[in-house]
Amino acid sequence: MTANTPPGARDGAEVAAAAATPAGSYLRVVGVSKDFADCRALEQVDLEVGKGEIFALLGASGCGKSTLLRVLAGFETPSEGHVILDGEPLDALPPHRRPVNMMFQSYALFPHMSVEKNIAFGLKQEGLRRAEIAERVVEMLTLVRMGEYARRKPDQLSGGQQQRVALARSLIKRPKLLLLDEPMGALDRKLRAQMQIEVVDILRRLGVTCLMVTHDQDEAMTMAGRIAIMERGRIRQVGAPAEVYEKPSCRYSAEFIGSVNLFEGRVSEQFPDHLLITSRSLPYPIRVGYAALVPDAAQVTLAVRPEKMSLSHSPPAQAHNKLSGVIERIAYFGSHSAYYLRTPSGQTVRGVLLNAQRQSGPRFVAGEQAWMAWEADAVVVLPA
Amino acid sequence: MSGRGGAALPRLMLWSGLIFLYAPMVILVVYSFNESRLVTVWGGFSTRWYRALVEDQQMMNAAWRSLQIAFFSATAATLLGTLAGIVMARWGRFRGRTLFSGLITAPLVMPDVIIGLSLLLLFVSLSRWIGWPETRGMLTIWIAHVTFCSAYVAVVISSRLRDFDRSLEEAAMDLGADRLRTFLWVTLPLIAPALIAGWLLAFTLSLDDLVIASFVSGPASTTLPMQVFSSVRLGVTPKINALATLLIALVGIAVLLAGWVLHREQQRARVARSASGD
Repeated sequence: MTANTPPGARDGAEVAAAAATPAGSYLRVVGVSKDFADCRALEQVDLEVGKGEIFALLGASGCGKSTLLRVLAGFETPSEGHVILDGEPLDALPPHRRPVNMMFQSYALFPHMSVEKNIAFGLKQEGLRRAEIAERVVEMLTLVRMGEYARRKPDQLSGGQQQRVALARSLIKRPKLLLLDEPMGALDRKLRAQMQIEVVDILRRLGVTCLMVTHDQDEAMTMAGRIAIMERGRIRQVGAPAEVYEKPSCRYSAEFIGSVNLFEGRVSEQFPDHLLITSRSLPYPIRVGYAALVPDAAQVTLAVRPEKMSLSHSPPAQAHNKLSGVIERIAYFGSHSAYYLRTPSGQTVRGVLLNAQRQSGPRFVAGEQAWMAWEADAVVVLPA
Repeated sequence: MSGRGGAALPRLMLWSGLIFLYAPMVILVVYSFNESRLVTVWGGFSTRWYRALVEDQQMMNAAWRSLQIAFFSATAATLLGTLAGIVMARWGRFRGRTLFSGLITAPLVMPDVIIGLSLLLLFVSLSRWIGWPETRGMLTIWIAHVTFCSAYVAVVISSRLRDFDRSLEEAAMDLGADRLRTFLWVTLPLIAPALIAGWLLAFTLSLDDLVIASFVSGPASTTLPMQVFSSVRLGVTPKINALATLLIALVGIAVLLAGWVLHREQQRARVARSASGD
């Protein structure tokens, strides 16, 4: 992961381009657009994925992530652009000739075939010898721990078991690229967490290059090495989960992943190592702990994650990065609590405190006056 | 309490409905075992009319002819109707799609008399212009039956395909099957129940048809419904009752068999699911 990405760069695409070049990119999506009759689903998408990487396309529904997946699988023909996998252009290949396999959201297991027939289907199309097919099916069944269910029909399996079969079926041809469409979408919450780890484990062991699509940020962050955030057919940001979370490049990715406090402001002073920003909604200036590439007096948006906020009864000593207000509401989540502070200007600011940490510190109740403060390094400057 | 009283009216309606539907058939079956020559007078139990039926060569020929026509009509109609159904459900929006669907489904609502008459006119003109078909007979009945049965099959198949999960076909293609193999190995087995249903529907429609067959049949090609109809005009004998009873039995056995197979399939799935502990 490229850690030297300029934080808070003006243009999301710049960051994407800088971050998306791991050594020896294996899958390259070059300027792909897709027009449907009534809308443009993909807009000049560029993407590079390294060999053996698990890469997630993350976005709300209708952002074009599934369309991109279908373009890669060959079910949709891009209106513009190219897809190159391992140096070979895929554009002219129909789905059944591509070295790409997909695990469908609904799993799409053939209901009239047993588990082993489902898994063997791909190899049968290649015309392999029966003995070899049987051997590889057993190998796959062992890998996904479904050996004892080989003769079951898909409708006799639980959701988690069906998913394992679907995974085995999409892996048996040893695809150069594996596509996962909302892999955990059909599972309940508990099973999801378990399968996320299990699937990643299997993919790592086989070293398969994988592109997954999800709208669930937790899923993307636990499973993928890198994430691309998509919005309205464009890629907004690419990076490792921590990078995307800590250094969002635009308002959209800041708000999409986790929750965030946003302040509008104007750059008042620039220094070699920090910036000062004044905001109309805050009485104190905001100090940003790095020099961002922004013109003087530029209108910017500042993002501060709730867990970077500290809470106190008395005013913090620092001259900037603080605000006061009334605690409007406290939401208890077990491991942590969220505090909603309403400032005199009317903005609600969210702070999250771990409950372990709260136990030792001062207690807060709803309705009382309190202060919030944050470090200069916790602020991310985004284009307005 | 009003518990029983409240259920009495619906129950009465249920029974009168069932009686309305099935009493005629029960009477028909009972009178097929009548000794008497008069259909409406009970003269004691006997199977003589079944014997008389088997000995009635004309009736037996008509039945055999009808079964043959029904079998071949259903088969051809299933083939053509499936193709039309696929086009209707899958071809997307091509030029004239609405017109095509309209034309395919029109025979469903067209009166039989019109279909029969127009086909008769067609056959007559054809034989005058190109000398084929020379005479009307089983071939022309077959053509006529395929024509209108295909429409029914097309509707059955296209509605099945419309709620078919497309991702199954995409999965097959993704795994390396071309269009033809995808159709043969995934689509076809999954729409097989609809194919069987369509075939059975076409078979019964053909077996049952009197009007269209009357128009397009020739001198030596009387079908069973035509034979029954003409003999009834001369006076109903209990022989007809016997024939009808046999047909009811045949249809009943087929329906029971299909239901049993279906039920067993479901039962097996349920047992396996509960055994897997989920």
